[in-house]
Amino acid sequence: MKCVYNVTSFVVILTTVCAGEQMPDGLAVMQKVYNRAAGKDMQADLTMTLRNSRGATRMRSIKQFRKTAREVEKKLMFFLKPADVRNTAFMNWSYTEPGRNDDQWIYLPALKRIKRISSSGRSDYFMGSDFTYDDLGDRHPSEDTHTVTGTEIVDGQKCLIVKSMPREEGYLYSRTVTWVIDGVWIGLKKDFYDTEGNLLKTLRVKEYREVDGYWTVTQTEMHNVQRDHTTRMELSDIDYDTGLKDDLFSERAMQRGLR
Amino acid sequence: MNGGIIVVAVLAVVSGSLPVAAQDGPQWSGYVRNYTGILARESMDFSIIQNTVNLSLVHRKPRVGFTLNPWMYQYPGRGLEIGLREAYLDVFLGQLDLRIGKQQIIWGKGEGVFITDIVSPKDMREFLLPDFEEIRIGVNALKAGYFRGSHNLELVWLPQFVPTNMPEPGSIWRREPSLPVEPVIDSSDRDIPLRADNGEVFGKYSLMSPAIDLEIIGGYMWDDDPTMHLQRVVNPQTGRLSSITLSPRHHRLTVGGAAFSTLLGNVVVRGEAAGYRGKRFPTRGRSDPDGVVEKDYINYLIGADYTLSGTRLSTQFIQRVILEYESVLAERQFENMATVLINRKFLRETLMLEVFAYVGLEEPDALVRPRVRYDLADGFEVQLGANVFLGEDGRFGAFDSNDMVYMKTQFSF
Repeated sequence: MKCVYNVTSFVVILTTVCAGEQMPDGLAVMQKVYNRAAGKDMQADLTMTLRNSRGATRMRSIKQFRKTAREVEKKLMFFLKPADVRNTAFMNWSYTEPGRNDDQWIYLPALKRIKRISSSGRSDYFMGSDFTYDDLGDRHPSEDTHTVTGTEIVDGQKCLIVKSMPREEGYLYSRTVTWVIDGVWIGLKKDFYDTEGNLLKTLRVKEYREVDGYWTVTQTEMHNVQRDHTTRMELSDIDYDTGLKDDLFSERAMQRGLR
Repeated sequence: MNGGIIVVAVLAVVSGSLPVAAQDGPQWSGYVRNYTGILARESMDFSIIQNTVNLSLVHRKPRVGFTLNPWMYQYPGRGLEIGLREAYLDVFLGQLDLRIGKQQIIWGKGEGVFITDIVSPKDMREFLLPDFEEIRIGVNALKAGYFRGSHNLELVWLPQFVPTNMPEPGSIWRREPSLPVEPVIDSSDRDIPLRADNGEVFGKYSLMSPAIDLEIIGGYMWDDDPTMHLQRVVNPQTGRLSSITLSPRHHRLTVGGAAFSTLLGNVVVRGEAAGYRGKRFPTRGRSDPDGVVEKDYINYLIGADYTLSGTRLSTQFIQRVILEYESVLAERQFENMATVLINRKFLRETLMLEVFAYVGLEEPDALVRPRVRYDLADGFEVQLGANVFLGEDGRFGAFDSNDMVYMKTQFSF
């Protein structure tokens, strides 16, 4: 059964500061979020709508594939819109091994060539959106220290509030605070603080639902509060466990494009 | 200039009305562009006014597909050029892909240099200034690719040789040889006839893995650039040179090489190297019967890419070494060059600032290419740039009087 929770209004109904309550271990909570069942593979259409402070919007459209095998997660994205980036392909291999950098390649159709790129640009914004490459990746829980600071009822869901501080010096956020739905292990909202300690961005899950038996975030909105710029990200035509082959995550597939 | 922009605007409207097929049908895409360049001289002459329509029609089925890439350059006062950059058929047979027809084949890991990128010849009519997509000439070829996991093997056969497209006489990009008398050009041996034994063959093995990306290449080919064989006639009475005949000819080359890229920390390290056997080099001495001598040479580069606080930095060092060098050769034994790229995007990637430079380390000379690109809307961009040639001699310094500023307006659909 597919169950849809519309949390667009996002009204906080009840806040509980649990002074006396025994809080769960923060790392254990974030491990559950990190290890939440997400299928062996997944494919979906991704649409990003960028809106600036004047209300002007721009659209980006992507077809994405993901496969998890052993200790590596492979992602392949084909850019469909706008026209000037059509057929560009981006591939990312991330590893469960703590501290190991992702491997990334990009295929640029104008150059007809695949380039290895450095993942040092994790703080770069993805396609001009409010999501950095780091925001889109699966940050390993061991890269931060996590503390559960309380619980809150958000739109009818009991959430654990987890404060995460980076172990790495000079990381792009000084801290993040995540509201994790207890038992479902989805981060329902997340606040990002800049290196000065000021609120930079807020991420809101607008919709999540069960697809093919997996809890899936299908609509999110990232708001850069300092620049009043917003990106809405929507997933559609989602399919899990269709048996994507390893060959899909290859030089050949990047060059050949979508068929 | 305004006329050109109007043309682009009209073409943009026309292209916007092109039928866009459903996702599973043929896919149209392309761009229209106006490119206007002005020479930075007192006269402020136009170096180029070019309106371009570039179309791409792609249709793919699970087993077959085809691609058509027609283009059109329109030059006010000079007429129209129409051509097909690519027109090929794909056949997908499990782990074997076949591609037959006119196609661009691009190899290597270098940026802006051609060391193991030996298959598609170059269109040098505007020197190195056009986009690289437009510098590579499509060639009629049969390409077979065999894929197994991360390992790829590619074999290419070109039945017909296509040379470098050189600047026409009178072009500001043409370099005439410096000779004591006006030469006579004898092009009778220039063309390579279409014969079974005149084809070119190339092979590439490539690996894409977390540790390293690797390419090993080889080719039995013709030198894309003609060798200018030189014949001097001396007046026996005066002992003075009376005439010179230049005979452009293409010679066979055997090429082998490799390219790699890998990640060291946060730095992408790239390299390419190739050895060329059978190259003819011009000589300075008068004793050589036709002014050239055969020498092998190697060409290599080492480069690094790094992103520092959102700014992409890239540099390459390139060296060419002539083996078994003789002092009679007109070219240096070692030719050293470097490239530098600095690129940064602003305003949510709608504004891009870039400087790319080729630096000849011998003369020294350089080509410095700053540019600013702004996306007025998705797929609609305006670019302002300059091409600045520094030095007095050498590959770039020779064009010192061709400094230019330009504007490109492009609408992609």
